[in-house]
Parts: sequence; structure tokens; C-alpha cells
Amino acid sequence: MFMTAIRVEALRKSHGRFEAVKGISFEVAAGEVFALLGRNGAGKTTTVEVLAGFLRPDGGSVRVLGLDPSTERAEVRRRTGIMLQEAGFFPDLTVAATVDAWRGFTAAPRPRDEALELTGLAGRAGVRVRQLSGGEKRRLDLALALLGRPDVLFLDEPTTGMDPEGRAATWEVVRELARRGTAVLLTTHYLEEAQRLASAMAIMDGGEIVASGGMAETLAARGGRVSFRLPAAVAAANLPLPVTVDGDVAVCRAEDPDLAAQTLLSWAAERGLRLPGLEVRAATLEDLFLDLPTSAR
Amino acid sequence: MTLTATYRLGTRLFWQDRALLLGSVLTPALIAIGLPLLMRHLRPGGTGEATAQFQGTLAVILSITAFMNIAVALSARRDQLVLKRLRATTLTDGRILAGQIAATATQTVAVVAACTVAVNLAAGVPYPANPLLFAAMVIAGSVVLATLGAAYTAAIPRAELAGAACMPVFLLSGIATGAMGPIREALPSWVGAVLDLLPTTAVVDAVRTGAVARPALVLAAWGVAGVVAIRLWFRWEPRRS
Repeated sequence: MFMTAIRVEALRKSHGRFEAVKGISFEVAAGEVFALLGRNGAGKTTTVEVLAGFLRPDGGSVRVLGLDPSTERAEVRRRTGIMLQEAGFFPDLTVAATVDAWRGFTAAPRPRDEALELTGLAGRAGVRVRQLSGGEKRRLDLALALLGRPDVLFLDEPTTGMDPEGRAATWEVVRELARRGTAVLLTTHYLEEAQRLASAMAIMDGGEIVASGGMAETLAARGGRVSFRLPAAVAAANLPLPVTVDGDVAVCRAEDPDLAAQTLLSWAAERGLRLPGLEVRAATLEDLFLDLPTSAR
Repeated sequence: MTLTATYRLGTRLFWQDRALLLGSVLTPALIAIGLPLLMRHLRPGGTGEATAQFQGTLAVILSITAFMNIAVALSARRDQLVLKRLRATTLTDGRILAGQIAATATQTVAVVAACTVAVNLAAGVPYPANPLLFAAMVIAGSVVLATLGAAYTAAIPRAELAGAACMPVFLLSGIATGAMGPIREALPSWVGAVLDLLPTTAVVDAVRTGAVARPALVLAAWGVAGVVAIRLWFRWEPRRS
């Protein structure tokens, strides 16, 4: 079943005179993890805040589960979970007391222990929030966002400050939710995170979407790269394929990186040369990001 | 369901915060109990002045335990982005504030009740002649002052200034009802007329004179003003500058 959970059409939003979002459009299907990427100030958080109903759009339209989040906020909230980039807790409440209080604000909430178990906080239930590490606070944030078993989940920088283990555990939770049909809108600075979790993405810059599409297709279309240490005797210009040189490492970008590697290796073999440290890999989101005009990073 | 949840949360946070308790319960309680007691010792003859003193200090309790308490709590939660997080739940804006106002008003009523018993035992101040009117006015006054305190946060730029920003309200309330001594008598009469329009003065007037209509009208007007001000100016997040 394909169902659109989030639909954004020609959305515009200004903060005073500053136009933060300049007519962007995208859709997120049920069960899809969609990554919204871009540097600080690109308009990501403004977009999420409009979708979450904190801000009213100046133009265009936004629908979450077919509802208008600014006029039907209560109904939208019942079915969405929000993990804000920045939000405070009551520092003197324990983890358990915080979850209990939030359960009171949620219709048909998950049991407290289930929420803590899910986010790996079961052993920290009796600890005051002020004593939690940054990563643990993000987990508590996630626990609160998941209390209402949401159909749509907004995750704004969900793993900032988490250790690698916590990050991996969080990814697993998000994947599992998506498998069960939750639409996830993810904004993150960690491109590896976006690449691993998201099946579709859009890159924002200066309030506009400058690149978008399915993650796998977009990356496949970018080709890949072959890198190796350039032998001292060889000038880059003499290689059979164009390369860029960074220090003593030559990088060759190609639509088909396997074919490029073969070409380079047979060229080297004919000349009795070795290409040490040769690496072949498909394009990553980071390559794509770095290839964008500088202003878009 | 959700309104009681915010009420319970507000109540729990209040009673577990020692610094807040010291400032918004102990201090006004000491003033409300201590001053009538002092008066009783200075004038051993009668309880009249101690009673007048206690009635006047009701304005102090209202301005600290209701007004300042909620203004400090809400501006701190605003600046710590806790209000923003609360808004990310199914709670409506109205429920978030109504729950907190109800919790603060309850705390204020509890402090007034405790002080009323304490001054009776310690200084012989008689219990209110019309307990129903007394209770109604204290409850209404607590709700109105808590509402006004919530609205006042819009004028507080940063949470650390909240206490200082509430001082003028506390001073005016105390002067208006004579809780701080006979300062009022030294002021021009038009100032007195303005001070009579304060919501705290309305509560004290009703308790002292048994008047109902005018104090109720003054409180209602302030209540409406508070709600309108909240709708127009209440800030849920710190100013980004």
C-alpha cells in the first residue's frame, strides 16, 4: 500500500524579512524514511517546524496524514511524534517521572517500561534528567516522541551526542518503526546516518531544494570513484583516465568505477607498475554533498 | 485527562523545588504570620490592628505565591525550551497554561489557608466573619493573579530577570493594602485611587469590608485583561536575536 503521509507543495516561510523557505515541494510515503539535508540555515528546521504545526506557512500548502498541521494541530499531534533539535526537560524529574508525565499528555500511550526498553534507557529510569549525558537525553527525547505510537515521526538531529553504540541502536529503532509503516522525516548533519537510514532525500540550500530523489538511484547515478597512491614515476596527466590529485592520492571519478579500475590496472600492468592502496567504491552521500556548489554545503 | 496531567505536573514540580518553596511559600508566609504577630506584641490590647495587618498581607501572598511564582516558573520553562517541548505533545496551548494556572492558584490558596490558621493560633486574629466570601475571594484572586503572572512573562526578556521584574508588583500590592505600613497615607489621593484598582486590593477590600460587587467586578476585569494579554503576547519560546 502506498500512502502519502507528508505532502509539501510550494511551501514558503519567512522569519521577518528573511525568507527561510522559498517554495519547496516533496512527499514522504508511509513506511518511508526521508532525509532532509543541508547546511545550517538552509531552512530544514523551519520546514520541520511548519510540518509540526509550530509555524504557519506563508504560502503553499502542507499536509500531514491529510491534515493541515497549523489549523488541525490537535488531531495531527495525536498521530505524530516529534523529536525537536532543541528542547528542554524538567531537570529535577527522573527519567521515569518524565515519561510518566508525558504519558499523561498522550492518548493511548505505550507503557513506560516499553518506551524505556525501546530506547535503551531501562537501566536509567531512576536517574534525574540533569544527570543524563547528551546522548541519553536524545534517547529520552526519542522515548517521548514514540509514546503515542505515531504514524509520522519527525526526527531533527536525532543522534547528536550519542556514542556509536547508541547511534546504531537508534537507527535500528527507526528502521523497525518504518518497517511497521511509520513515515519518518529525518534531518541530520551525519551524512552516513542519512545514507544508511533513508530511502529518499532532498538537499536544501538557501531555502530551496537543490537535489532530491531516491537514495539508491541518486547515488547510483553519481557513479563512484577509484583512488590509489600515485607512483612517484608517473605524472597524473599520463594516466589513461582523468584524475584529481590530493597529496599523493589520485582520485578518478567514473560512472562505472569497476570498469575504470580495470582500465587503470591494465594500463599499469603493461608498464610494470603497481597502483598501491587501490580502492573502488560507489558514490556516497558525502561525495554528492561535496560535489554541490559550495554555497549548498 | 490532559488538563489534570498538566495540573499534577505543575504541582509536583512546585513542591519538589526547594528554592522555589523558600521564595514563594516561606517568605510570604513569614510576612503574613510575622507582621500580625509583631503587631500583637506592640499593641497588646486588641487584635484589631493585627487583623488589619493580616488582611493587608493577603496582597503580599497573592503577589508572590501566585503572580511571581508562575511568572518565574513559566519564563524559566520558556527559556529552557520546556514549553516548546510541551507544545510538541497533544496538549493544546490553553491546556498547558490552564493546568499551570490552576496548580499555582491551588498552592496560593493552600498558603493563605495555612497562614489564616497560623495567625489565629499565634496572634489571636479571628477567623473570617464570612468564610464563604473569604474563600471565594481568595480563590478568585489566586486564579486572576496567576493568570496575570502568566501574561506578564511576555514582558520578561530573560528568565533570570523574572524575580526582579515582579518586584514592582509586589511593592505596589503591599503598599496599596497597608501591608508595608502606612506609606499610602503619605501619597497623593489619586495614587490611592489607582492603587484601589489593583486586583490584590480588590481581594483585601472584600475581606475587610464584606463588599462583593465592586471587588468582583475589578477581579473580573483583570481576569479578562490577563487572558487577552496571553492570547496577544504570550511567548512560547525565547526571543531569537
